[in-house]
Amino acid sequence: MIGNQLALIKREFWEHRSIYVTPLAIASIVTLGTLAMLMFAGGFAKELDIAIFGATNIAGDTERQAALTGFFVGTSGVFLLAATVLTVFYSLDCLYTERKDKSILFWRSMPVTDAEAVISKLATAIVIIPTVTVVVIIATHLVNLAVTSIWFSVKGADAGHLIWGSVPLLDNWLAALIVTLASAIWMSPFVGWLLFVSAFTKRSPFLMAFMPLVLIPILEFIFLRSSFFADAVFSRKGMIPLFRGMDIEAFFDKETLHLSEEAVSLLAFLDVGRFLTSPSMWGGVVVCAVFVTAAIYVRRYRDES
Amino acid sequence: MTSVVNARGVSKHFGAVRAVDDVSFEIEQGKILGLIGPNGAGKTTLLKAMLGLTECDGELTVLGLDPFKQRKELLKNICFIADVAVLPRWIKVTQLLEFVESVHPNFSRKRAEGFLSQTKVRSDARVRELSKGMVVQLHLSIIMAIDARLLVLDEPTLGLDIIFRKEFYGNLLNDYFDEERTILITTHQVEEIENLLTDIMFINDGKILLDLPMDSITDSYVELMTSGENAIKARGLGPIAEHEMFGKSVLLFEGVSRDNLEGLGEPRTPSVADLFVAKVKGARK
Repeated sequence: MIGNQLALIKREFWEHRSIYVTPLAIASIVTLGTLAMLMFAGGFAKELDIAIFGATNIAGDTERQAALTGFFVGTSGVFLLAATVLTVFYSLDCLYTERKDKSILFWRSMPVTDAEAVISKLATAIVIIPTVTVVVIIATHLVNLAVTSIWFSVKGADAGHLIWGSVPLLDNWLAALIVTLASAIWMSPFVGWLLFVSAFTKRSPFLMAFMPLVLIPILEFIFLRSSFFADAVFSRKGMIPLFRGMDIEAFFDKETLHLSEEAVSLLAFLDVGRFLTSPSMWGGVVVCAVFVTAAIYVRRYRDES
Repeated sequence: MTSVVNARGVSKHFGAVRAVDDVSFEIEQGKILGLIGPNGAGKTTLLKAMLGLTECDGELTVLGLDPFKQRKELLKNICFIADVAVLPRWIKVTQLLEFVESVHPNFSRKRAEGFLSQTKVRSDARVRELSKGMVVQLHLSIIMAIDARLLVLDEPTLGLDIIFRKEFYGNLLNDYFDEERTILITTHQVEEIENLLTDIMFINDGKILLDLPMDSITDSYVELMTSGENAIKARGLGPIAEHEMFGKSVLLFEGVSRDNLEGLGEPRTPSVADLFVAKVKGARK
């Protein structure tokens, strides 16, 4: 079972190279952006000296941490956006193309059950794509920090102190991993739906997947004057029960005129316990399981010829 | 003799259409069975039922297993080539070998590489870069490297040129087949395989018209080329089919001894194709 899963997931990497090409492309863009910014900033020698002086002498550890974390959050956001788009296309494609090109007949001639095959695709969407994304985020982070510290050293600043001594690597990375995986689990009912459409539809999976999402709310509004479906579906992204409320008072320490320490920890914003005990999260997992089971049944029972 | 496939009253309906209609048969180990029938006769449906790809009514066991419920177990000991074009086009040859090696307990990568080295298929090529014939060679190399007890070939050489077709069956017989194994082939090009079959089964409209060893065709069927008065006499013996060839009548008899036809013309054993046409036409009457 496990051996088969590894082989099946490897297979997904072979077929869908975008799983790693997409984050690598984003990584190159981010790194190029950093280089461009540094070159641009290099043109303002005087301002730069002031800024480096300020960063070294006036700002405390927390401010430096906040600045570096801000950079990290900003770039990670781009990766997450790309991963979301990637997951939608992957989930819609993975069970559709194999039927379209008839290779399903070959895959089904191997001693692999339909459940194993579909679960490997679910695992790719929910675990593998997020994990690959986080790995590339971490690599990009390190590369960009290295580039920036080389640049700082050239400009005569103490990169060890300014960057490496201040950047909360573990906090940033762990938070990125938790947010990415939790988002994937939170959005899993959509992945389940997309996999089901991919296994089920005879044509245009994209249209078939999104049309109901548009039509059902309209019909519901016309006939029932309510918006339960739209509320449940469209506002789900914003409702992930993972973050703590942000307390602006605690964020900025008026006495010292510095940021307070916990304000710069990303992990401090996350409430994993709340996420794991959230009925909405588990409800979503159940919806995902129902769609995935349906996808397995469709793949198993439908005669393709 | 151990039986590999056992069917008792197997049926498969698609709505009102009976694709397979209450068929019963047995396939013994060590046979090469040709399953022959026109398009839409139910061949592929029957194969799919045997491979556990579709559910059916009645009693069907393959290698002692229920093909639909125990498909994964079954597929460890059974191989099939469904059609020539089913290998995924994006995959590389090495990836394909690696995948099959990791999911199939009875696959020998070394053996497959051995077969492939005799072809022009490069190991770093993608399937989409290969010609149709090469894709079949690749598929066959993989299938022959699987130590399976039953091999099912559904129109395996469709769309291939004659050289590839001859090679395909040559490889199959010389490098693969032995008395432990059983091969089931469906094809339209029956002339090409009739020499390698040990048994044939005709199927039409979901029913089995004929199921017998090749040897017994000679005993049970005789074709007589005749003309004139002799033809009239011969017709009196109840031929199951008749057609014209070179201005002469060709009559096909079932269960009529060759001695009875002595002096009425030239008797010979009918080809599988002629027998098939006669049987299908006979069934339509």
